Amino acid sequence: MNALLAGLAVLIIGDSHMVTRDYLITTLHDDLLAQGATVDTYGMCGANAADWVYPTTVSCGKAERHGKVGPEINRAASAPTYQIDALIEKSHPNLIVIEMGDTMAGYGQHDFPQGWIYQQVHALTGRIAAKNIPCVWVGPPWGSEGTVFHKTFARVKEMSEFLSNAVAPCRFVDSTQFSKEGEWPTIDGQHLTLSGYKAWGADIAASLDQLAPQLARQP
Amino acid sequence: MSIAATARSRGLRCSLAAVAALAAFHWGAARAAEGRLYPSGPPNGVAYLRFVNLAPQEVTILSPAAKIAIPADDAHRVGEFDPVTPGVALTGSARLGEATKPIDVTLKPNEFVTVAVTSEGSDGISLTVFRDVPSDFNALKSSLALFNLDKGCAQAQLVAGDNHMSVIPEVGPGAIGRRLVNPVGATLGVACGDPTQAVEAKLGPLNAGDRYSIFLIANGSSREVVAQRDEQAPFRP
Repeated sequence: MNALLAGLAVLIIGDSHMVTRDYLITTLHDDLLAQGATVDTYGMCGANAADWVYPTTVSCGKAERHGKVGPEINRAASAPTYQIDALIEKSHPNLIVIEMGDTMAGYGQHDFPQGWIYQQVHALTGRIAAKNIPCVWVGPPWGSEGTVFHKTFARVKEMSEFLSNAVAPCRFVDSTQFSKEGEWPTIDGQHLTLSGYKAWGADIAASLDQLAPQLARQP
Repeated sequence: MSIAATARSRGLRCSLAAVAALAAFHWGAARAAEGRLYPSGPPNGVAYLRFVNLAPQEVTILSPAAKIAIPADDAHRVGEFDPVTPGVALTGSARLGEATKPIDVTLKPNEFVTVAVTSEGSDGISLTVFRDVPSDFNALKSSLALFNLDKGCAQAQLVAGDNHMSVIPEVGPGAIGRRLVNPVGATLGVACGDPTQAVEAKLGPLNAGDRYSIFLIANGSSREVVAQRDEQAPFRP
């Protein structure tokens, strides 16, 4: 445990990995609470990075959680998206954690959509950079191959390598380094089992612990 | 600095087909009101199209759905890369004064296409289509692209600093040269032949993660350079 995380106001945003009760909205959120941070978590199922910047609607639900209270999950289709500027205004974070990658990697498509991904990422990191808030971007885990999401280990690797160069000024946390390919079982190729979310959340929290001394702390 | 990608133009391409939906072009609020030329692309497999006015007067672009005017001043002559649907023929025309030229371009997935309008040619208007599939997206660097529209310049080069160090060498007419550089504030220029005679490319300090386009155009017996930061319009369903 690193005392530098204690007292931080952490804003976590992410995709569907945050929108079910036992997912990161519980495991990562709890891990950071346990380290003494104040935590607000928001998830939007199916959302791309720019959906947090340009108002639209979510395709498969959204969720939020504040402090020790349990998550509120809204499965309504076409609910309005959360907007990063408003969340920052509300939470006043001194660290933002972004978990995103699976929705933008173009699983099942022959061509890797680099230009489009960069635009999405740049739109979101640009808003955060404009407010001078330190940020950490967490890439996707390996998942499983041969499922309805068409996720492949090769594309996850390609996406992680791409994000490592694209997310600055955010720091990048490469989730593929936390496990071997296929080591964390999934329920559908993309979403992990409870034990997987526990392991992923703990590994992200440990990475934040390591990065904490390098992140400029906002007053 | 490392060379990240070099893309070559495949020349002017004209074919015709019909596109009946709307597209977005945002060169400021006034421009947005003029309508959308082509449908926005899907979230993935998207391609990007922009128009650039390198003529001395206003250019009008017409599609089956809309009409936009591109001013000739440096602040507005380079349009945003707009997301469009790949694999679909995007048609229309470009008008410069009384001269017109048909537009018909089909983009590949992930392609960035620049349609540059100049006042060259016997009919007073010329379109050059630059095709690029960049792979140098990097938030820690700046990406510079040199577009050579000067048919009289066999090998344009982008040079930097007082010693005219070559940054992007040997870009032929109708071609693009691209390079990732560290985000610094060096003086840039475009030379054809003697690098000490480079025409300044006024970009100002480069920002990390941003991408820039530098166009070399002929102007009678001399040359001009237009330089702007690239802008990408957001995807709009």
